[in-house]
Amino acid sequence: MTLEQLLADTKPALLEIQQRDLTDIKQAKDWQSKYRVLMQLGKKLPAIPEKMKQPELLVKGCESRAWLLHYHDKTADRHYFVLDSEARIVKGLMAIMLCLVNGMTTAELCKFDLCHSFDQLNLKPYLSQSRGNGLTAMAERIKACCPAK
Amino acid sequence: MTGFDVQQFRQHFAFFQQQPDWVYLDNAATMHKPDAVIDAVSAFYQRHNSNVHRGAHRLSQQATAQFEQARATVAGYINARNNHEVIFTSGATAALNQIAFGLMHTVLQPGDRILLTQLEHHANIVPWQLHCQRYGIIIDVVPLTAEHQLDMVAYQQLLQLKPKVVSFSHISNVLGHIQPVAEMVRQAKAAGAITVIDGAQGIVYQPADMQQLDCDFYVFSGHKLYGPTGIGVLYGKSQWLETLTPIFAGGEMIDSVSFINTTFNKLPFRLEAGTPNIAGAIGLSAAIDWLQNYNIAQIIEHKLLLLKAFYSGLSAIKGIDILSLPVHNAGIVALNVDGQHPADVAELLNQQHIAVRAGQHCAMPLFSYLAQHNSAQHGAVRCSFAAYNTLDEVNRCLLALEQAVEILTA
Ligand SMILES: Cc1ncc(COP(=O)(O)O)c(C=O)c1O
Repeated sequence: MTLEQLLADTKPALLEIQQRDLTDIKQAKDWQSKYRVLMQLGKKLPAIPEKMKQPELLVKGCESRAWLLHYHDKTADRHYFVLDSEARIVKGLMAIMLCLVNGMTTAELCKFDLCHSFDQLNLKPYLSQSRGNGLTAMAERIKACCPAK
Repeated sequence: MTGFDVQQFRQHFAFFQQQPDWVYLDNAATMHKPDAVIDAVSAFYQRHNSNVHRGAHRLSQQATAQFEQARATVAGYINARNNHEVIFTSGATAALNQIAFGLMHTVLQPGDRILLTQLEHHANIVPWQLHCQRYGIIIDVVPLTAEHQLDMVAYQQLLQLKPKVVSFSHISNVLGHIQPVAEMVRQAKAAGAITVIDGAQGIVYQPADMQQLDCDFYVFSGHKLYGPTGIGVLYGKSQWLETLTPIFAGGEMIDSVSFINTTFNKLPFRLEAGTPNIAGAIGLSAAIDWLQNYNIAQIIEHKLLLLKAFYSGLSAIKGIDILSLPVHNAGIVALNVDGQHPADVAELLNQQHIAVRAGQHCAMPLFSYLAQHNSAQHGAVRCSFAAYNTLDEVNRCLLALEQAVEILTA
């Protein structure tokens, strides 16, 4: 598995999540249905092979670990990501995060406000407990991919 | 029937009226506080607030008397020989740091050995490690048996290496197993070691009797015994407390100070630098006073009942891997859902208002051991029960777990 392959596999998965699953989550009639969808999201993203999970890619939550790969297409100024997590619910939430930022330009990424976007998806409660599950740490890592001016 | 009225007991906790939707099973992390504790703390601030051991005025003398009465209450509760054997700290962690730091050089010399166990909380590992590395002291570790109990044969063998200090927990914060501490102390003393017991989980299960147990040090945190956070106890025999080098220095703990030489105050003050947590100590003693209204044996029986119901309910849920043994268990159950990350399980319980903890519970060495045997490579979900929990709550937790398993394995 190479980074190119992972990026290529992530893209359609995110597209599907954005076009189908996000609506399902928004319209879920109870928390159970919402979580069933969330847990499917993580499965749609390709897993990062163990060999590629270098320590510098590790994003530590209190209870579970996650990994983030970043690729900046400098010619087009687009940022692409691949992520993985040990925990399925967290991976689902991170997948949503990724939908929102994947393919952004540097300027868009720097402006991106996760809190606001999650609020619009009725997912904000998950951020408040995110110190434990590592969502905030992941959001910070994604933002840190903005090159310093 | 256990003769213990849990509904009556529960009524002393405002928390449960404020949060009726929640089932709180994270008691090993911290316990709720009865009104008696909250009232004692606010009464102190409202009516008696003054610094201790220093004011020329009567208010300070009254605060001092209350603070010293709190010390006497704690000393009485653990049957210490003297009140000055109770040192107030900020918690079990601070107490263990004081012991580890305080024994270096005075007792522990380069090349000496100390003995810990595989199931210790990080608070009973890292302070030792930090200082042992600097002073060239060797740490040995008592392994566990296949049943996750301390290997007492190995313990005896390791004692033959003549460790100067043996430090172990009374009750494992992950598995809930009650260690055979009396026997461990006896053997350690026969081998000539100083004994340290981490009673953070032990003290709430059963008041420990210092004269009977005869250990050299015993530590615990107030917040796991119905008391406030930020207050803890370092019990030590006078002789050893005198030997400890103070980890903190400053006001209160000195006898005379000059830039040539400073001499230290007597016990307990030499180990209590600075203004202590006065309200915390008063709150802790209020917790102990309040607890004395109840029969500990009945509380233990009530918790056993909860534990039995929980275990029997768990056996009916498919795919649950239980790490804790039901015997000699103080009311803590570590478990996993086969093939599922504990964080996922805990999050699904959280959605159903069941408060548990997931992860490695500040005991990574224990989990690196458990991971060879079980589903525990990512840690475990921990349900920890307290006297105020009810059978109804046990059932709610079981139903929630079933729901979680269903969602996770769909
Ligand atoms: C066995 C054990 N030792 C030590 C501690 C540390 O206690 P504290 O964080 O209150 O200092 C804990 C708390 O979780 C514990 O369970």
